[in-house]
Amino acid sequence: MYEYARMKFYCDEDRCIDCHGCEVACSDANELPVGIHRRKVITLNEGIEGKEFSVSIACMHCTDAPCFQVCPVECFYIREDGIVLHDKDKCIGCGYCLYACPFGAPQFPRDGAFGIRGVMDKCTMCAGGPAPTFSIKERELYGQNRIAEGKVPMCAAICSTNALIVGDAAHVAAIKRARDAAKGKGAMTPYGWDQAYK
Amino acid sequence: MTNHLGDIQNSKAIIIFGANPAVNHPVGFKHILKAKERNNAVLIVVDPRYTKTAAKADLYVRIRPGTDIPFMYGMLHLIFKYGWEDEEYIKNRVFRMDYIKKEAKKWTPEKVADVTGVPTDVLIQVTRAYASNKPGTLLWAMGLTQHSIGSSNTRMAPILQLALGNMGKFGGGCNILRGHDNVQGATDMCCLSHSLPGYYGLSEGSWKYFAHNWGVDFKWLQNRFATPKMMHTKGFTLSKWWQGVLQEEKIYQPTPIKALWVQGNGITSVAQTAKVQQALDKLDLLVVAEPFANEAAVITNKTDNVYILPTTTQFEDEGSVTATNRTAQWRSKVIDPLYESKTDEEIMFTFAKKFGFYDEFVRGMMMGVRNGKAVKVKDTFKWPEDATREIARIIKTIGLTGWTPERLKKHQENWHMFDEVTLKGIGPMKGEYYGLPWPCWTEYHSGSPVLYNIGIPVMEGGMGFRARFGTEYEGENLLAGPFATIKGAKVKGGYPELTKENIEKVLGIKIPAREKAIMGKNWKVDLSGLIAKYALQAGVAPYGNAKARAYVWTFPDKIPMHREPLHTPRYDLAKIYPTYPDKKDQYRVDTKFISIQKKDWAKDFPIILTTGRLVMYSGAGLIERNSKYLAALEPEMFADINPALAYKYGIRDGDMIWIHSPEGAKIKVKARFTYSVSPDRIFLPFHFAGIMEGKNMSKNYPEGLIPYAIGESGNTVANYGYDIVTQIPETKAGLVRIEKA
Repeated sequence: MYEYARMKFYCDEDRCIDCHGCEVACSDANELPVGIHRRKVITLNEGIEGKEFSVSIACMHCTDAPCFQVCPVECFYIREDGIVLHDKDKCIGCGYCLYACPFGAPQFPRDGAFGIRGVMDKCTMCAGGPAPTFSIKERELYGQNRIAEGKVPMCAAICSTNALIVGDAAHVAAIKRARDAAKGKGAMTPYGWDQAYK
Repeated sequence: MTNHLGDIQNSKAIIIFGANPAVNHPVGFKHILKAKERNNAVLIVVDPRYTKTAAKADLYVRIRPGTDIPFMYGMLHLIFKYGWEDEEYIKNRVFRMDYIKKEAKKWTPEKVADVTGVPTDVLIQVTRAYASNKPGTLLWAMGLTQHSIGSSNTRMAPILQLALGNMGKFGGGCNILRGHDNVQGATDMCCLSHSLPGYYGLSEGSWKYFAHNWGVDFKWLQNRFATPKMMHTKGFTLSKWWQGVLQEEKIYQPTPIKALWVQGNGITSVAQTAKVQQALDKLDLLVVAEPFANEAAVITNKTDNVYILPTTTQFEDEGSVTATNRTAQWRSKVIDPLYESKTDEEIMFTFAKKFGFYDEFVRGMMMGVRNGKAVKVKDTFKWPEDATREIARIIKTIGLTGWTPERLKKHQENWHMFDEVTLKGIGPMKGEYYGLPWPCWTEYHSGSPVLYNIGIPVMEGGMGFRARFGTEYEGENLLAGPFATIKGAKVKGGYPELTKENIEKVLGIKIPAREKAIMGKNWKVDLSGLIAKYALQAGVAPYGNAKARAYVWTFPDKIPMHREPLHTPRYDLAKIYPTYPDKKDQYRVDTKFISIQKKDWAKDFPIILTTGRLVMYSGAGLIERNSKYLAALEPEMFADINPALAYKYGIRDGDMIWIHSPEGAKIKVKARFTYSVSPDRIFLPFHFAGIMEGKNMSKNYPEGLIPYAIGESGNTVANYGYDIVTQIPETKAGLVRIEKA
């Protein structure tokens, strides 16, 4: 048995339709400057018959996070639940993490190191940051802390086709397994609509 | 929409003509993805462009715009040839399918390939996949309707479904996706020029029914029109109202249009924006009432007598809205109106007061039914509940009787107690479908989630096809056959629509004289509700049970016929499949058909133009272009162009280009390379406005209200061309020429 959740994102390419809902919801909920993409939908082979597909990518909150490894000022920290966060008061905006990141997650605001979003900005899985929970400083530097509120991160909450799911890895895997098991078995919804969007 | 989005999960095959739900209905599209995932449904997308929806398809068909009818005849050719049709269904439930069969015989795969550009093997593969996986559902949207033969297209698709026996089945039906919030509601209320609310038409009988229900004198209503005849004459449409001002084509009313009131409509969302601009300039008065500055006030050069009234958004008002699948949803007010903005109804009430008909305007909300008559029952009204009650009391045609505010609110409060696939309620909501999909015949009826389904009892939403056009035509019976009995009905097979006169005979019952005395003439005007009551007791729908008509004697084409677009790239085919003769007095204005098509436009305008929507914008983009995050996704107007076509004109990715229409309009936009369009066509989104033919109009926005994204309106170059019946513009199949700017 484990004591803590292990938070993970999963995006189903068969369901992602490139609607950008996750991106816009993230930007809006966290009041990001235009041009900062904590999350981005990537479409490959756009317009090519039979080959086009899309996937939504943000910080994947790696267990052995390369950004954490390479940061010269050790501004990153990994929570017990696996969410990778960083301290904007320590960050110097050098961009080493961008070299290391396999997903292009780190973002660098154009308004300089001392602008409202600070030095480097990235997806927090809507878990705020090192500033006191629900403080104005946390809100301004890191955005919403929906995890502390017991809510699903904004991107997954808004996903129109439920391609993007997030939560404890065991839960995410269970949803994926249930979907796989349901394949070809016909329409089914034994519960109400609160369950239907699974 | 005959079925509903959740029901698509029951489909084994899904064919989409001219709709892009992945972009325009992202949440609804989930049900299609689930059908694929859980039901192994085959997804077939027929579209001139490789869309986001096509990216999820099993089979994709790149069709030439405006050739859906030949493609569907091609499918029917194979269906009849190989005996894939549902013979029993056709015999009992369809009128004159043999006429279709005869026409389909002509459309061999080779001929279809020549006209549509779809290879024969693709047609065969698609037809086989669709016909052998049942139930199959057919979806469409503006890609099928916005053509000069749009009305025929919308008949052809149900005919294909009827041939396969897919109508009135779970997982089947024709699912037409409405493009905006409450468009179905606006249609049901007939916010249009050709009918009273509830599709009652403009006949004297209809006006009298409404006059009675509104508690006003018929003569008083009549006197509000210039002449009694005007009362029964269709008005101008959104598509061509501008001719009422410009009069370039002959108009049929005593005076030109002098004033325009725009409330809740993106005026750049229909074709011929340049003409719209000219008409706006010439008006005496222009009023726009919108939460955001409407483009009507921006694209005009008019400097005086333009008024912008701030209205509230949906969050600042309350009431019922109707979803794409005919369900009602109650919407609560979240906040009070911000700043000086007013709700739509308050603006309307103020207007009515100023013009001196406020009392008559609101009286209907204070009326109720006593002994089969509408009478005034109280002296005040409560918005919006009493408006909803007024709708429920009057609108029988589509069965809104059951839509009381109390029921709708209960559904809103218990929405988690409904199943998404069946819409069935559980727990306290048992016996009702979510949102009471119309027809909801009585206050105790469940609603009808799937139209024309004879497989379930009427009390659970079953019904046949409506017996709207008499009981026979040229000696042939129009009523449903003996094997089309509605489940649980006491009347076997088909029967006519119920009237006071025939109800006892049809249902085989005896009704007390005192009840007959208060009963309305027929089910459509029976305020007493007795016809519906006795019909439901007998297990039949009040509107009869007839055959669906594949052959319609009142339409210009009795069966759907292919006719080339007015501006066709295949002039040779226009000779074989010519469009209609020009039409006089179509919604008060002459409309050109053959006189446009007789010229070979493709010589000078060789590129096909088709238009559509982007995921981040809707309609004319009034709201979304004011959101910085949405605007950032697509900040500029563009044209999708295949690199091979661009190369011919020396255009590179990102170059500015001029696009010219046959009408002489032009727009300057950015070229965007993509393989989603083939080299014979370009695609334009139509959400932008604020730049007209290269001229920036943004100085016309009130201070501080310039949206984050402005651009040329794609509809400026959308060609002239209108449907023969509905006058919907032909935006999906035009011609243009391009050059590097």
